[in-house]
Amino acid sequence: MHIAAVLGLGAATSGVASTKTINKLSAKDIYKFNSMGNFTLLHMCDIHAHIKPLYWREPSTLISAPNLVGTPGFLCGEAFAKHYGLEPSSLDAYFDTYMDFEALAKKFGKMGGIAHMKTYLNHVRKERGEENVLFLDSGDTWQGTGVALKTRGEAIVKAQNYLGVDIMTGHWEFTYGKERVLELIEMLDAKFVAQNVIGNDPFEDEYEELIFEPYTIQERGGAKIGVIGQAFPFTSTANPKEFTEGWSFGIRPETLQDYVNELRNEHKVDCVVVISHDGFSVDQEVARMVHGIDFILSGHTHDPSPQPIVIDGTVIVIAGSHGKYVGRLDIDASNGKVHGYEYKLVPMASNIIPADPEGVKLVNDLYAPFDKELNEVLGKTKHTLYKRDTFFSTFDQLINDAILDEMKCDMAFTPGYRWGTTVLAGDDILMDNVYEMCGITYPSVYTFDLKGKQIANLLEDIADNVFNANPLYQQGGDMSRLGGVTYSIAVAGKAGERISKLMIGGKPIDLDKTYVVSSWGGNLQNAGENLQEDKIRPVYDVTRDYIKRQGVVDVSNEGNVTLVDFDCGCPVKGSTSC
Amino acid sequence: MQRRDFFKKLGVVAAVSAVAPVISFAGDKPKSKNAMSYATAVSAITGGKTPKKSAKVKLKVPEIAENGAVVPVTVNVESPMTSSDYVKAIHILAAKNFNSRCIDVNLTPANGKAMFSTRIKLGGTQEVSALVELSNGDFLIATQSVKVTIGGCG
Repeated sequence: MHIAAVLGLGAATSGVASTKTINKLSAKDIYKFNSMGNFTLLHMCDIHAHIKPLYWREPSTLISAPNLVGTPGFLCGEAFAKHYGLEPSSLDAYFDTYMDFEALAKKFGKMGGIAHMKTYLNHVRKERGEENVLFLDSGDTWQGTGVALKTRGEAIVKAQNYLGVDIMTGHWEFTYGKERVLELIEMLDAKFVAQNVIGNDPFEDEYEELIFEPYTIQERGGAKIGVIGQAFPFTSTANPKEFTEGWSFGIRPETLQDYVNELRNEHKVDCVVVISHDGFSVDQEVARMVHGIDFILSGHTHDPSPQPIVIDGTVIVIAGSHGKYVGRLDIDASNGKVHGYEYKLVPMASNIIPADPEGVKLVNDLYAPFDKELNEVLGKTKHTLYKRDTFFSTFDQLINDAILDEMKCDMAFTPGYRWGTTVLAGDDILMDNVYEMCGITYPSVYTFDLKGKQIANLLEDIADNVFNANPLYQQGGDMSRLGGVTYSIAVAGKAGERISKLMIGGKPIDLDKTYVVSSWGGNLQNAGENLQEDKIRPVYDVTRDYIKRQGVVDVSNEGNVTLVDFDCGCPVKGSTSC
Repeated sequence: MQRRDFFKKLGVVAAVSAVAPVISFAGDKPKSKNAMSYATAVSAITGGKTPKKSAKVKLKVPEIAENGAVVPVTVNVESPMTSSDYVKAIHILAAKNFNSRCIDVNLTPANGKAMFSTRIKLGGTQEVSALVELSNGDFLIATQSVKVTIGGCG
């Protein structure tokens, strides 16, 4: 189609010169770009309210169904470095993979932060001319830190206004509840677009009508750009329904196609862009189902993808997570057609890109009312605490340890979200870090009874959400993290037959026995009985108290899950090993 | 703005199906007939004929249900709907429900369009089918898997 014909014009990225040491690397090396075309799209996704720089270690295990393993969206570590040709120990390798993370963290420092991001955005706006640049945000922006939770998203909206976001869509945004979402949109300078959120309450005015504008048309560099919003299609199943009661979500490829056609045929746009929270692999399916989209600026699955992928003429990019990157996409479009493009995933290295003083002041002001609580040192960690990975990560294990210790349950469930933080070995753990891991609007830890049979079925159900061979049946998260449990899993197995050797408290599961289960961040309590109401407490308080009691936490990186059909965490395409 | 346009489009669809098809909900039938497996239901409808998979039957149902108690299903069949060539009936089946046969919709050429939209209840993850009877006695079918999940990963 229209874009496929010009692919040769330069889909390759210009990675940061890797042979230079940190001392020689300058912001110029990071900014380097073969600018082209008549306008630039800048893109961020899934910053999860990280307005300050942070450490973020990418996964060391990213397993999926065999047909997907080793393809963009399911690449990590060595396989990732090989696929994209990364130099070992380079800045790109530090940002994009887990390899040698602790040593490189010392060398390159923290990532992201709005003050550093702003310096880069200003650079591009100056180079291209402000009137030729559009800044797009694929969502998961308002939630993920203590300052976001305590201001019910407002601090982050202020950060977006400061950065100059033009258009956004959402997912975790919705967990502040419908009314608050609409209030925050009022405060937001950007437009909020979503073509796939529809009223489903027959007693409301919005019944079967769009809740948000489906798209917006902007002019940049003489080109008319149509930008369609695609919110997270599974918000009402992945997060509690009560936040979005009366709103229905879904992929809705039919209406997406209608809006693409409307933009092309009625509005005669030069370029059709979708800002999407579908996830990287689902968007590859969307590009197969819907025709005429030039660019999908994806989000949700947190993949740092140094190169775009092209499916049936649609170019798909995704810009990692936690504010680690800004994607820069220069486009040449006129007469209703895209003639060429150039893309680079730009790492926001906070020690190399200077901070904008105005941004530093804004962050300080936003944090000031909460500094006392958020900066409290709770303890130290012996080993690096991290989030991500398909089955197990150390910070999740710490949360499960805290829950098992306080709730005296047989097992604990912690959700497989992909947002969080990384605390380096030997560093202090701050209360801020605990909120970075579990700062949500439904933080209650529930303790209740489940039958062995139910637990086994639930695990199979969750495994099928993560490992289904068809991305349209996945929800883009990782496996729930289990405390007090070990199991083996054959990822390629049939639905309902993946899990074996399931042990609770060191003994094989008894399907007829009743177990005491604690969980947070999900809906499992709805499936249980005998909810212990007196034990309900926010997970961040449970975790805080446990770390304080421990003083120094010592969580080993030895996982609780045995992978039967792959011999490593980052397999290459078509293989079960690395 | 766009919201209004969207609503207008819906209005058009509603007008097309203004000639009400004859509908019988399986739930209205006596209980003994309700406990019907998928295979029994299909052969009861087709009289033993094997329905042909067909792209003419457009079954629209979500891959992942937002709420298993009310899963929206739309069936649209390509057909001229003339007296010599029309869709006689649309049946919606849920393979693993206690009663597989969710709904039978009887149509005539006067309906103008072979389209039907409803909500069904799904007891769990399973396949949903639209089984279509044509005026020439042929049966067509389209099937899709629908996941009903407790959810909870974000």
